[in-house]
Amino acid sequence: MAQAVEPAQYPPPFDEADLIKQPTDPEDERIEVGIAIVGGGPAGLACANRLLDRLEDEPELAEKLGEVPVAVLEKGKVAGAHELSGANMKPHVMRELFPDLQPEDWPFAYQEVTKDAVYLLTKRAALPLVPMPPNFRNHGNYVISVSKLARFLAEKAEEKGAYILTETVADALLVEDRIVKGVRSGDRGRGKDGEPLGNFEPGSDVVAKATVLAEGTLGHLTQAATEYFDLAGSLPVRWELGVKEVWEVQKPLDKVIHTMGWPLRKAAKWNEFGGSFIYPMGEDKLCIGMVIGLDYTDSTLSCHDLLQELKTHPFVRKLLEGGKRVAWGAKTIPSGGYFAMPRSLAVPGMVIAGDAASMVNVPTLKGVHYALRAGMLAADAIVDSLKQDSVNFENYHEAVHKSEIGEDLFESRNMRAPFSKGFFIGGAIASAMTITKGAFPGGKWSYEPDTEIPMRDGGASKRYPEPDNELTFNKLDSVFLSGNATRDDAPNHVRIQRHVPRELAKTWVNLCPAQVYEIPEDQLENGAPTVDVHVTASNCVQCGAINAKGGRLTMPEGGDGPLYQET
Amino acid sequence: MAGILVYALHDDEGNFNNNSLGAISEAAKLVGSVGGEAAALVVGDVDDAACAGLGKYGATKVYRAKSVPEGLAQPIVDAMAKVMTDNSISYALFGGGLLGFEIGAGLTARLNAGVTMEVTSVKAEGDKLIAERPVLQDSAVVDVGYVGEPGIIIGRLNAFDAQESGSGDATVEDVEVELSEWSTKARMITRGESGDEGGVNIEDADILVGAGRGLGSPENLSVAEDLANALGGAVASTRAIVDAGWTPYSTQIGQTGKTVAPKLYLAAGISGAIQHKVGMQNSENIVAVNKDPNAPIFEFSDLGIVGDLHKILPKLTEAIKAKKGG
Repeated sequence: MAQAVEPAQYPPPFDEADLIKQPTDPEDERIEVGIAIVGGGPAGLACANRLLDRLEDEPELAEKLGEVPVAVLEKGKVAGAHELSGANMKPHVMRELFPDLQPEDWPFAYQEVTKDAVYLLTKRAALPLVPMPPNFRNHGNYVISVSKLARFLAEKAEEKGAYILTETVADALLVEDRIVKGVRSGDRGRGKDGEPLGNFEPGSDVVAKATVLAEGTLGHLTQAATEYFDLAGSLPVRWELGVKEVWEVQKPLDKVIHTMGWPLRKAAKWNEFGGSFIYPMGEDKLCIGMVIGLDYTDSTLSCHDLLQELKTHPFVRKLLEGGKRVAWGAKTIPSGGYFAMPRSLAVPGMVIAGDAASMVNVPTLKGVHYALRAGMLAADAIVDSLKQDSVNFENYHEAVHKSEIGEDLFESRNMRAPFSKGFFIGGAIASAMTITKGAFPGGKWSYEPDTEIPMRDGGASKRYPEPDNELTFNKLDSVFLSGNATRDDAPNHVRIQRHVPRELAKTWVNLCPAQVYEIPEDQLENGAPTVDVHVTASNCVQCGAINAKGGRLTMPEGGDGPLYQET
Repeated sequence: MAGILVYALHDDEGNFNNNSLGAISEAAKLVGSVGGEAAALVVGDVDDAACAGLGKYGATKVYRAKSVPEGLAQPIVDAMAKVMTDNSISYALFGGGLLGFEIGAGLTARLNAGVTMEVTSVKAEGDKLIAERPVLQDSAVVDVGYVGEPGIIIGRLNAFDAQESGSGDATVEDVEVELSEWSTKARMITRGESGDEGGVNIEDADILVGAGRGLGSPENLSVAEDLANALGGAVASTRAIVDAGWTPYSTQIGQTGKTVAPKLYLAAGISGAIQHKVGMQNSENIVAVNKDPNAPIFEFSDLGIVGDLHKILPKLTEAIKAKKGG
């Protein structure tokens, strides 16, 4: 039996410090904006909308911010192209941001949740959990598509005067005298080995009075800033991976469903924490997703294939009968919660908002409304400070902690950790935590970083079904459905060691839902303890999971990656 | 208004492009419903016989603009716009290719027309044309109609088959075109296919042997090349082997490579991922050799052979040589 391998022993060839730069373009060639927002997701675009609302009443400040008061840098082809979530959204923050709109007018919302249920799955049966664990209650929330939400928010922000720079990557953080001055956008038109091609365009310095890092899960610059400004929280950031499909179905689903148990294994040694979600999307569609904590131990575990396996369960198969898969995607979810949030959410010239700052409540599976809230609070703090010619945005940090973000995340601060004791014991402790709002047993439950969990072959992949192309699908077909058509001669944006122990290589091969990593065929069975890893970077849908298992995702060329429509 | 105008691209030797000929055949098929003539526009000093010869593919009329240079889009937009307007032609049809896209886009802007790109098929409803184009990464096909005229239809590469069905020669009419000021600002200095190291344009080949990772190593490419030579075809590649550096990018078939529709596509050691499939699914006959009976390629092959390609391909090559020799 092969030796267990800790991914952290094989760190990626990457130095976060390389992402901290000073402006280098001549002054007259720099792109000057008022506020630079990195990331066109719920946090960044809520911030943009709120900023422009506020600037309406602050003509003096608006004047000072120049021709481009608010710019949003979005790496996807459009805002929303890289957005994926469940998603059940608590509606109140959206109502606050757009008081004139009713939920019926939200083009990204499918329906209000009127009924929900949680099932414990065994291999053959689905047992409803009654009473339902309170954290799963979604009554009054809305089933939405974040991919559509981002498109909507971008449209509204543009109407108000924001510049949405799509296909634009923020590749470095511009810092002078420990004050953030903006970002440097990524180069375009480089070849496989980084050589400039005929259509090469170098990046530019985008200088700003305030920079908002709203990069989402695994922020490229957020990680660099965390190291440079020493912002790490008291526990390491950690993630779960979600793979999601949208199906057209024959009959509408009447409730929001969560499942626990099968196909995940209960024993503590596997450390398989997760479950599935199945949400109705109007009369003719539903979405189904599988989520797994990336502290699992089996090098053959594949979240994509777990989802395929889940669909073969009689209970799930029935819901999909006669239907057709119309979308697929994958994304990590920051799950460290309260203690993993940056120690400070603001440094001079910059703030961090949304998933980038681990603003996700894992037990309730909620993050969208926190992202919206954080974006709005960031906008308020920036306007208030810039009005006084200050780039100190510390009042944002306080505002977040006084808001529902700080309060909710504090209550659920320890809820995820006990599950490494196995499903039932963990579940019991977490329930006690919920009932006491986190007071029992209190304190701080520590955990290892995901990368320090030793990986060994636990045989999970033996059960995965062969794709039948009706109910179950392979990874490459799925990548195709994500809309990913990245050019093949783009530089590789994935940093990993290329020759590693077999168990680590297997971990990457199985982990990645997009078939980016492969062990060459002649080394699959040759018994050698170490193997080469082949990387097909153009398959990447930028879910970020590789970071949890010893890699570092960097920014590809702007516009690369998936083009999600309604995930 | 009536009639369909096709832009007939030719090389320096005066040979017409296969995609243009396909577009002429398509126009000939449709013109019965639209009314008017299936016409072609030829630029440059192409002789009468060559122009009239387009009649073989179904053109009844050929407009020749001798003074307009071949190769750049804007002068040809000038010529197309003039012929379309002077003769009240309803539709312009392009066979595909970069130049077709560029001219088509320019012409659309010039005539304030409607345009559909990446069209794979055209049908007539009454005297109107409806273009079919795949959308959402080819997962669905939509019908696109035109609310007014003229309508511009730009085909996907190899969407239309060149068919020698027409009767006699086409009438040739010379047209004088005054070039716009901006059309003369750029000129062609050199012209060449980029990246076709092998000298074969796989988009034009009637027979392709598709080489995949199942070949095992770059040394084994010769097995595919020998077969392609025996068949009188060329070797095409999957992304995986281009990525591994076995073959040049110019031979890559698929979503991020070329789209082909040869008469025979013989897939050797290709699993048939959808990214490859979308580049060759319109081939007339697909034959697959793969050792894995569950390979997806067998789901869309006309003939599938489960077995070791290192044994099967050389035997096939021998048999074809023997047959051709005899």
